[in-house]
Amino acid sequence: MSRPISRPAIVWALLKKELTAYSRDLVFLALTLVVLVAVPFIFHALPDSVDESITLAMYPSMAEMVGDARDALIKMGATEEQLAELDDIDLAAEEEGLALVEFESEEQLRSVIEGSLELWETEGGETVFRDKEAGDEKPKDAERIKPDIGIAFPDEFIAGVAAGKRDLTVTVYSQAGIGEEIQTAMQSFVREAAYQIAGRELPVGMPDEATIILGDDRVGDQVTMQERMRPMLLFMVLLMETFSMASLISTEVLQRTVTAILVTPARVSDFLAAKTIFGTVMSLSQALIILAFVGGLTATNWSLILTVLVMGAIMFTGIALFVGSAGKDFMGQLFYAMLFTVPLLIPAISVMFPGTAAPWVKVLPSYPIIKVLVDATVYGGTWADAWGMLAYAALWLVILYFAGLFALKRKVETL
Amino acid sequence: MTGPAISVENLRFSYGDLEAVKGIGFEVQPGEILGFLGPNGAGKSTTIKMLTGQLTPKSGVARVLGIDVSTDDPALQARIGVCFEEKNLYLNMSAKENLDFYASLFGIKDPDSIEVLRRVGLADRAKDRVKTFSKGMRQRMMISRAFINKPDVLFLDEPTDGLDPVTSASIRKTIREEAERGAAVLLTTHDMFEADELSDRVAFINEGRIVALDTAENLKLKYGTRSVKVRLRDGVGVREEVLPLDGDGSSAKLAELAASPDLMTIHTEEATLDQIFIQLTGRGLEG
Repeated sequence: MSRPISRPAIVWALLKKELTAYSRDLVFLALTLVVLVAVPFIFHALPDSVDESITLAMYPSMAEMVGDARDALIKMGATEEQLAELDDIDLAAEEEGLALVEFESEEQLRSVIEGSLELWETEGGETVFRDKEAGDEKPKDAERIKPDIGIAFPDEFIAGVAAGKRDLTVTVYSQAGIGEEIQTAMQSFVREAAYQIAGRELPVGMPDEATIILGDDRVGDQVTMQERMRPMLLFMVLLMETFSMASLISTEVLQRTVTAILVTPARVSDFLAAKTIFGTVMSLSQALIILAFVGGLTATNWSLILTVLVMGAIMFTGIALFVGSAGKDFMGQLFYAMLFTVPLLIPAISVMFPGTAAPWVKVLPSYPIIKVLVDATVYGGTWADAWGMLAYAALWLVILYFAGLFALKRKVETL
Repeated sequence: MTGPAISVENLRFSYGDLEAVKGIGFEVQPGEILGFLGPNGAGKSTTIKMLTGQLTPKSGVARVLGIDVSTDDPALQARIGVCFEEKNLYLNMSAKENLDFYASLFGIKDPDSIEVLRRVGLADRAKDRVKTFSKGMRQRMMISRAFINKPDVLFLDEPTDGLDPVTSASIRKTIREEAERGAAVLLTTHDMFEADELSDRVAFINEGRIVALDTAENLKLKYGTRSVKVRLRDGVGVREEVLPLDGDGSSAKLAELAASPDLMTIHTEEATLDQIFIQLTGRGLEG
């Protein structure tokens, strides 16, 4: 015999049904398994380190330059102490991630940077030049060296500087494809190197380092592809779950099973509550499982990451409610799902690349979610850094969730 | 309870400018089966949706088990069972899981789902997923779902539509058992035979209005013509004579034909509900 039933009991019964329906659908199951298996696999297949070294070409060789300088300085009557300072000059040793390649002529250096001449290093450490257009063979057991930047010092540079000459020109060659940041950084380096060699500050202002390094200085600890992809993968899990959830809702609406529910003591609000809870829990639990596989939670960021994931899960559930109620069939549902999810994916892709996202990307609802995820998992962002973005995300969450809720409520009531 | 299980007075509903139900009124007593007959678009489903709380009436009063349907009181749904025309079952769940789920929405802790399935002949398929069921089996599932909470009022929308005669007879028997238990049944159907056999009373609804409401017998007496069909041998063929029972001289003519050596058969002829509906509305029930 039936007895009065509480609203939580009805929602619980609906949740159990959702779980059964979800677990019985091969498409949903396959999607879930693919996500749970593929995402960690992709993550671990990505490079977990960054090649931070920059190869610097130089003319003349350091030994030649110092040798010339020594002769000139002796003629100028330099003391033993001053001459000993020459021995301390070593450009490559003091710069982390810098490999130095020395050339015998400026023309050679220029050709190598330009790419018309190839530079190879054999296993024995010998450097070999190859003129491809002249028909030179590729050296055996050798690795090609591609200098990013070349520096050509004028003859008797050190002696000239020591003599107080001001019209000395150091030429910096860089490949056309080298980024502006690296070019600027290398110019700074050359000025610093010249300063070290000359023993005095050159009449050129050094750029402020803050304009070159964004956020924390991660020299020696650059963001690897794995780190960049971690928030993106978490975001993808939420996105995939949106498809499953929307499909589950759509099936319920199209097969009118919801109508049968609503002629029992269950109300539309119970139905919506169950869908919301189920969608959020499914998204969140999968995201947490993925997080366990790919790492990223630390003692300082776990609460922030969990919060933003919960917000993301609810936001995407709202989208699923909307998509599920809008599609009249599978194709319709797919269309609406793509219509919503593709724009939401744009911020996730944009944050993978360094630089500032375009203003229109920042307006998208998923931007604050992915931004907080990236900042927290990659750059050690804290609650204090994230408040603004969380508030922005909350605004979008309210808009999207209630839009989805309204759309599904209206759909169900008019069946 | 005392009084009617369903009580409807001047009930109206509109979809925008289209008035689907135009001030209907009727009552159904506990244990009574009321056949609700009408073509598609006549207002049958809209009426059921209002009585089951799916739609709110624009005006008028409708009470089911004494509860005003416009109050959105879950106590109403706790005591009714609904069988929809569309087979809205969870196809990936088994028959028992479907019934257990709906029972849980009524707060039934240990539903006797197997017994309910046995009543509709599906106990041996209790663990099979509904997607493997035939159309007839799904329809029986729909009926069993409507019974799961032992409702005091049953709303059955085309419960035997498209089923084979054996399954239809089985379902009709089950519906009759529910009425005998004391449940009031509001039954919509296109099947005149079913309405005639099952319904204690019949309501004809057309264009949102009830045009006739009485027992099938009374409707036939009131609106139909009584006649006798006599078949006689006529050389190598057969001759038929139809004699109106209410006409002058019919009795004498019938006695004469009955005494004929060529007499083959005599049948009483009575109007069908379909004919009466056409007579009353100018249109058929299938429209």
